[in-house]
Amino acid sequence: MIVVALRGASVVAFLLLWEWAARVPISFNFPSPGATLTALLALLRSGALLTATLTSGQSLLLGMGAAVLVGVPLGLVMGVVAPVGRVARVYLDLLIALPTAALIPLVILSFGISVASSAVIVFVFSAPFVTMNAYGGVRDVRPRLVEMARSFDASWGQLLARIVLPSALPMILAGVRYALSRAFVGLIVAELLLSPFGLGRLIMTARSMFEHDRMFATVLWTLLMAGAALAGLARLEARWLRWRA
Amino acid sequence: MRGRDSEVGRAGVIAVVSLLGAWEMLGRLHLSMFVPPVTDVAVAWWRLLGNGTLSKAASSSLLSLAKGFGPAAVLGVVVGLAMGRFRTVRYLLDGWVNALMSAPLSALVPVLIALFGIRDTVVAATVFMFSFFVIVVNTMTGVRGTDRSLVEMARVFGAGEAALFRRIYLPAALPAVMLGLRLGAVQAVKGMVVGEMLISLVGLGERLIYYGNTFLITELYAVIASVLVIALLASQAVQAADRALVRWK
Amino acid sequence: MAAPGLVPIVVEGVSKAFGAVRALVDINLRVGAGEFLSLIGPSGCGKTTLLKTIAGLLPVDAGRITVGDRTVTGPGRECSVVFQDFALLPWATAQRNVEFGLLLRGVPAAERASTARQAIAKVGLAGFEEAYPSQLSGGMQQRVGLARALAVNPRVLLMDEPFASIDEQTRRLFQDDLLRLWSEARKTVVLVTHSMEEAIYLADRVVVLSPRPGRVHEMLDVPLSRPRESSDVRATAEFARLVDDLWKILRKLQ
Repeated sequence: MIVVALRGASVVAFLLLWEWAARVPISFNFPSPGATLTALLALLRSGALLTATLTSGQSLLLGMGAAVLVGVPLGLVMGVVAPVGRVARVYLDLLIALPTAALIPLVILSFGISVASSAVIVFVFSAPFVTMNAYGGVRDVRPRLVEMARSFDASWGQLLARIVLPSALPMILAGVRYALSRAFVGLIVAELLLSPFGLGRLIMTARSMFEHDRMFATVLWTLLMAGAALAGLARLEARWLRWRA
Repeated sequence: MRGRDSEVGRAGVIAVVSLLGAWEMLGRLHLSMFVPPVTDVAVAWWRLLGNGTLSKAASSSLLSLAKGFGPAAVLGVVVGLAMGRFRTVRYLLDGWVNALMSAPLSALVPVLIALFGIRDTVVAATVFMFSFFVIVVNTMTGVRGTDRSLVEMARVFGAGEAALFRRIYLPAALPAVMLGLRLGAVQAVKGMVVGEMLISLVGLGERLIYYGNTFLITELYAVIASVLVIALLASQAVQAADRALVRWK
Repeated sequence: MAAPGLVPIVVEGVSKAFGAVRALVDINLRVGAGEFLSLIGPSGCGKTTLLKTIAGLLPVDAGRITVGDRTVTGPGRECSVVFQDFALLPWATAQRNVEFGLLLRGVPAAERASTARQAIAKVGLAGFEEAYPSQLSGGMQQRVGLARALAVNPRVLLMDEPFASIDEQTRRLFQDDLLRLWSEARKTVVLVTHSMEEAIYLADRVVVLSPRPGRVHEMLDVPLSRPRESSDVRATAEFARLVDDLWKILRKLQ
């Protein structure tokens, strides 16, 4: 009860603060919550927002799909073949520490301005985390379970499919979810820089035309979409991993 | 999401050296303009350092980094401590913190630009945004992970709220706080690059955009390398502070 | 019989519930000044809850607890607690851990250091002052916990399954040391345990609590002569008979 009240109160407080900031106004570029909502509805009705969302979603799916298809097997190999793991881990550590956004100009130069280059950027932002968690998941497999399976004369394939993969699954899925959140960051930076399509373009167009209500609306929508995607993935994860309860 | 110490062991040295070697060989074959030889990049880096381009950009970047990360560290720890200790504060803020921690905050940079104009303040604000939440969450987790029996023990000896904070919660949370600061430092450098690229006015991020637009690939690599070095140094600096502070582990 | 400075503990009609779970119902209990009392009972009988209410760590829902002349409303200066999981500060050396209670009570640094050193020597850990808890065995860690409790010179010592996480041989030696320390400086002691042998070997009286809801089920006097630590009390027929009596009481409660 109190929990819900406090959480609700903080949302109300935020909206009030926003309204106040728009009334002062702290900047002429600062629309009120009401104006933002109106702009959001208009953008939704015109279809512009949905088209942009679909375009962004396309890059995201392509890039994330590739990251999972490459990252999971790579992480498994790293975990099973120890020397590969030790070496590849160094590159991964560097990639994870590197501000990946710095690679965006390079990707744009190589792939041109296209959905493909956005997808590559999504891949570059997400793949290291997918790989790292798959690797960690394999390394955390309980040796006792492997011994147990071996005592039943399990083959390599059986060992991988019945023991290693299920054991590593929670960490792999957590990695995919974190990678998705990073992928959104990268995708949006790329779209803001490239500007020919997607939600980023919508934001930049609105900004260049000083339609700040539309810009705020698109930013809000982007954050909501990302939040919904992450929450959806979390639910899926919880369903697949019911045994962990 | 978890803090991983980069292995500075033998495997690390071999991996990095062989990568650079392979890169150099590929570069010498001139297969693609996107793989310039490492030595060319090093030469470009030296030249950019010599003519002041790199040091000017880097000092602007580091200043923004400090202006954003400093407040994020202080405020992040304070908010995290409060959220960890007081349920009311936690319920007021945890929804926001959890949502914003995984949100694509890069989408908010245009909002910051609308507020502050195209200025380096936007970069500092982006740095703050990128690093703040991970510091809050780790600090809060650290406080909440405090062993309950330590708290009871201190209370038996008559500890009040202030003494509990100073003698139990703070030291108990310190390892988690330091981990948060390390992850925050890495995030801060990412925020710095994103912010600078998007305002395209100052710092290493502006150089990235500039060399990208002008097809100066070797220079682009030189700046990428500088950014990587800053990221590693920032994380190492916090790690050194961590080792100095948390000796009992 | 009560030596100066020794205080009794009186528990009158104490009840305590956690939500719908009635942990303690109408507990009446008197621990004499300088008495060594064991609390035993199946898990869920509220023995740790009772100990925590006496320590002032948990408020009671009904009834009253007095330690000496003080009605318990919160932690007080007469009591020290020894915890099952030791509750040592992992970031502090043994010396600092033992000083901790003194520090919170505002004792000056020099006095703190010497009192703590004495307490550490008393529990047989001289030489380990600068060790961190992670460098000590479980038994040694609990000796630090005991030294910390004794360093503030309490009149009442409350022990919550202090030997539960310690291996058997270490435990026996530790129990003898505890009895020796107790006979040198008498205190009112309440010990929560799940070991029948331990309850009888250490205490003057064993109180059996029944589970769900926690009530005082029965009391058992332990007429074994003291000092017990140097003799082979455990090997006597009387000891065996007392353990058997206690087992008969506890068996009915399962």
